[in-house]
Amino acid sequence: MNLSPLTEEFMEKGRSESCPVIDMHAHLGPYQGIYFPNPRPEDMIRTMDRCGVRMVVSSSHAALIDTRENVRMADVVRRHPERFRAYWVINPNYPERTQEEIAQFSEMKGFVGFKFLSDYHKYPLTGPRYEPALNYADEHRLLILMHTWGMSPYDSPALVERLADKYSGVVFLMGHSGYGEWEKSIQIARDHSNVYLELTAAYAVNGVIEWMVKEAGSHKMVFGTDLPWFDPHYGIGCVLFSRITDEDRHNILHRNAESLIKPYL
Amino acid sequence: MLRPIRFAETGRELLEEMDYYGIEEALVYHARQRDDSPVVGNEILLNEIDGFDRLHGTFAILPPQTGELGSLEDFLGKMKAKDVRALRAFPAEHKYLMTRSALAILYDLMVERNMPLFISVNESCGGISGWYLIEKILSDAPDLTLVVTEHGSWGHDRFFRPLIEKYENLHIDTSRYELDGGISDFCGKYGAERLLFGTGFPAWNPGGSILTLAQADITTKEREMISSGNLERILRRVRL
Repeated sequence: MNLSPLTEEFMEKGRSESCPVIDMHAHLGPYQGIYFPNPRPEDMIRTMDRCGVRMVVSSSHAALIDTRENVRMADVVRRHPERFRAYWVINPNYPERTQEEIAQFSEMKGFVGFKFLSDYHKYPLTGPRYEPALNYADEHRLLILMHTWGMSPYDSPALVERLADKYSGVVFLMGHSGYGEWEKSIQIARDHSNVYLELTAAYAVNGVIEWMVKEAGSHKMVFGTDLPWFDPHYGIGCVLFSRITDEDRHNILHRNAESLIKPYL
Repeated sequence: MLRPIRFAETGRELLEEMDYYGIEEALVYHARQRDDSPVVGNEILLNEIDGFDRLHGTFAILPPQTGELGSLEDFLGKMKAKDVRALRAFPAEHKYLMTRSALAILYDLMVERNMPLFISVNESCGGISGWYLIEKILSDAPDLTLVVTEHGSWGHDRFFRPLIEKYENLHIDTSRYELDGGISDFCGKYGAERLLFGTGFPAWNPGGSILTLAQADITTKEREMISSGNLERILRRVRL
């Protein structure tokens, strides 16, 4: 076994001083379909310390269900400003709330942008109910983390491409990298400067990280884990053992995210 | 049938992959055992691993009533000759029911000789799938050493923990046990005996399960048991 210096460091210590991981796709709190040993912010910080994760950007599970819960994330960021930033969840099934929520969002600190969960909310990314949030994000150059899944009628990569053309001021993070439709997702990230591949769950697919690095470039990839779902070491291990360079691994695990969230630190 | 993005075509290539990841030995099956008839696939596996003592084979099973894999004596004789100590079921692809009507003879043989049966939780048959299928197998053969693989990342603990408590020979592999704190939480409650290290190569990236286990918040002894000790113990108990 001939490990890279970075891989060796993580295998020995579980973390790396030179590679403070930033997780761009996290959550918080219990959720309907899964048992979490570590759902509270304090539990998550313990995990982050164990795995060398400097910061996570979270949308709370509760807010995915009921967007009135978004404000609680502001408290979490206030209590742990060095470890948490947040996304504000937009639920297109309650369009009457969206304008007021955007106004609330604009008054609060700690948020980097919006989270869309179209596959679960059963409403397409390109539908008009998302337009107020997209316009606001475009105007203020915000991040939007979108759940994306291959062949989905709600958030497939092809739908992301239509938004990327129209809202060039938004930084789109393709959550799960359009899982399964790898070729299309990679093409979109390569062709659009404002689209990034986000690796949660995608990292597990053997060979896909190498493919992304080769075709889209490691500068267009960010790391995520769905924490408190997945042990960060699982995703980090997938990045570390992929046949890419340590420079690529630094780009994916923290450098690109550092650039993206710099305005919010 | 479906082509993984990255894979090993031959036994030698698989060893090169294992060397890259620092894996000394592996219990393996060939994709043709799943995608083709086991009559064809079992032979292909034996040819591919022949001469490589780091690779340990697994035979795919079929209901013995059709006789496709020979008589029970022939099947056992081949296992003994090639030191094949584990079996694998692909009921969805090979279209049979995992019931006592179909498999009682094999279930009884496996229990009598301590042979482990491996099955992916993604398998299905006769309209049942997932953990419901696993419970069906275990209710038909409660003493069977059953290893459920690839249990997935979408939170299966609520499914498998009741079965772990009820069936003492049920084991799960760690190839997709990604739950944050899952391995240490499981070991704290049930001990490490029921977990077996796995990678799910070539479908899954082995780096995930390797680093997760290497850094799990468990004792060195528990890590050694999961890494190799538990599987070695299971295979040692097999009487061919």
